[in-house]
Amino acid sequence: MRWLKRWSFMIILAITGIVYCGANRDLLEVTHWENLIPVGERNPQEDWMLLQEESSPESMPGEFTLGKGAYGKRLTGETDQTGTEISGTQDGEAGEAQDREAAGAQPPDSDLRPPVTPEEGDGEGVLPETEPEPEPEIVIGRVEEDYFADALFLGDSRTVGLGQYGSLRDIATFYASTGMTIYKIFNAEIVEVPDQQEKITVEEALQHQSFGKVYIMMGINEVGSGTTESFAKAYGEVIARIQELQPEAIIYIEGILKVTKARSDKGDYINNEAIEARNEALSLLADGERIFYLDVNQAVCDEDGGLVKDYTSDGVHLKAKYITLWEEYLKDNAVLIDGVGGGTEEAEAPELSE
Amino acid sequence: MVFSSIEFLLYFLPIFILVYMVVPQKLKNAVLVLGSMVFYAYGDLRGLGLLAASTAVNYVFARMIRRRAGLVAALAVNIGMLILFKYYQGGAVLPIGISFYTFQIVSYLVDVYRGEYAAERNFLDFAAYVMMFPKLAMGPITGYGELRRQLHRRRCDAECMQDGLKLFILGLCGKVLLADRLALLWQEVQVTGYESISTPLAWIAAVAYSLQLYFDFAGYSVMAMGLGRMLGFKLPENFRQPYMASSMREFYRRWHMSLGNWFCKYVYIPLGGSRRGEIRTVFNLLVVWLLTSLWHGITGNFLVWGMGICLLIILERQVGRLWKFITGDRTGNKVRGLASLVCHAYLLAVVPVTWVCFAVPDLGQLGIYLSRMFGLGSPVAMYVGDWQKALSDYGLLLGAGIVASTPLVRWIYQRLERKWPGMILLAAGFWFCIHRILLQGENPFLYLNF
Repeated sequence: MRWLKRWSFMIILAITGIVYCGANRDLLEVTHWENLIPVGERNPQEDWMLLQEESSPESMPGEFTLGKGAYGKRLTGETDQTGTEISGTQDGEAGEAQDREAAGAQPPDSDLRPPVTPEEGDGEGVLPETEPEPEPEIVIGRVEEDYFADALFLGDSRTVGLGQYGSLRDIATFYASTGMTIYKIFNAEIVEVPDQQEKITVEEALQHQSFGKVYIMMGINEVGSGTTESFAKAYGEVIARIQELQPEAIIYIEGILKVTKARSDKGDYINNEAIEARNEALSLLADGERIFYLDVNQAVCDEDGGLVKDYTSDGVHLKAKYITLWEEYLKDNAVLIDGVGGGTEEAEAPELSE
Repeated sequence: MVFSSIEFLLYFLPIFILVYMVVPQKLKNAVLVLGSMVFYAYGDLRGLGLLAASTAVNYVFARMIRRRAGLVAALAVNIGMLILFKYYQGGAVLPIGISFYTFQIVSYLVDVYRGEYAAERNFLDFAAYVMMFPKLAMGPITGYGELRRQLHRRRCDAECMQDGLKLFILGLCGKVLLADRLALLWQEVQVTGYESISTPLAWIAAVAYSLQLYFDFAGYSVMAMGLGRMLGFKLPENFRQPYMASSMREFYRRWHMSLGNWFCKYVYIPLGGSRRGEIRTVFNLLVVWLLTSLWHGITGNFLVWGMGICLLIILERQVGRLWKFITGDRTGNKVRGLASLVCHAYLLAVVPVTWVCFAVPDLGQLGIYLSRMFGLGSPVAMYVGDWQKALSDYGLLLGAGIVASTPLVRWIYQRLERKWPGMILLAAGFWFCIHRILLQGENPFLYLNF
């Protein structure tokens, strides 16, 4: 038994190793072979995503049945009644191009400001009682911060940045967390409740509190996993569930912020082509009635099609200083339905800025 | 291959150690050279050619050097290669460890020329000295004289192997559990942008970076020492609780000691050290610190860093001389009581500032960071509570780092290393590190979680 004492540490190391491997079998199984691929060629996020997705079959590639047509169908025949631009609807690229111009210009005296004030809108949009269901008047234009008082932002670390360094920090509500994905947003325990130690899930929070607007930006963490279709499908399901829980809310799909050209050219799965493809799919989820697509990238990208180099230090996140560009874009592209920014009828109608 | 990677920890190291332990004494150096080449090739296949060529050429050089001109020519080749790759690399990746192995080879050539020992006859032994993987990538820079006997003959048994492994695990814990996690705070500050951080956060992040750098490098050095021990070598200590120092001079006698010793032996002393009067001493210090800055990098911030430290060291010397003159104390430099407390406070306040200079390559950005540290200028889009958030996220880690910077860890380690609870703790620590590495996808600097 002398060897036992002689090799005591190796024996302890082996025993603890067996205990560890027994307890974390799944983690080792998925990752340990992948790790033999030299750094650079490997995609750890993918390994990680595999782990995450094993339990969520709806996100597995191949099981996607609901094609683009399904969303297209919902949109067919929907035209833009007011004539203002609603990006993401299928009524032609002209509207989108116009919208891009609108965001590019952004001067306060822009003629792109909605043609009606809320008061006028009420007068014009609501027809006499004889009409059972008046067509809602949808206006897109510039609003001020109070518009966001009943707004909720859902997102990953980029939205965390918005909530921390933006001027909307104390106005809007943020359910955002680093590493958040569309697959786990509802079950993430990230919502703080006053006088309570434990955080509740986003789904629980949405059951208890109502919002007039829900802004969503997610997708950078998911780029490495699944397909564009499976991602858009999961995204669509999240929107459907939000609509169930928040029937009065205007839902904004913010296009996934792109990365810098340098970051995109690095050669891993995070690249602007993939992000563009996914944004394209996301824009089709918009219906122009309650769901709108916002191409936030217009506000922060350069002619290379990527995030402006100076706006970021890691190529992915906006520096605090430039968060305002994102916010201004949201303020310039706010939706008012019959002069009201979503929410229940009792909700205070935010005013369009002068 | 880095030490804190799965391929090293779970594949390379166990296989290598097994082979190394099994083969007879005569073949151990050959196995070591072969293993080191595999280790090196995994990270930098093209650099391996340079390393092998450098080893072969310098083996011949050392045996040929008779005259001063020969030495100068040999040194020119080596240092020329270093400069070429370091400063005119033209976008290519710097060969791993070139700064370290070049300095070792230079020390070897100079020592041989000075007659401190004869040039190594056995090529394999020399190759084992240059290439041995524990110190290949990041030192410690070890003189050939320190390893000569061990290269020819060393004890390598169960005891050495396990003691070395324990030491290795201690270093691994420092790197994976402290450095890699503290690095995230510094990363967060970068993402936010220096112009938008509060003054308290600027300091907290600077402290976090100071600790990160320490546990990263000291952790690596302890791992190297541990690996050396496993193979039967005694590699020199590279860090001796530097944050316990009470002056800049003392700090750099405790921080990256092998580099400091190298500059002392091959630059400072040959220039006359401190024996040729104060003015000459100041000049010598300037030369040493200029070279130290260049060794770390050529961007302007390294010059700011090195010259800042040099200035502080020179000032400290003058204050010390004045102190001696006033008190008439000629017994030594040791200060006690309140004065020593003031000295400690001074060092701890100044060191994070020097590390910020080290960390921020762009001088404009460095200016912004320093102005945030000292509350100059007005911040843009600052979030007033940022530092409280940082403390609540990283407070525990910072606390752990500060405690681990004291001699306490060493004290506990020495007492528990051979006992059951200590061994269980270390073994658990190893697997916990493995777990962390798997979770973070090995490279914390990719930050793949957005």
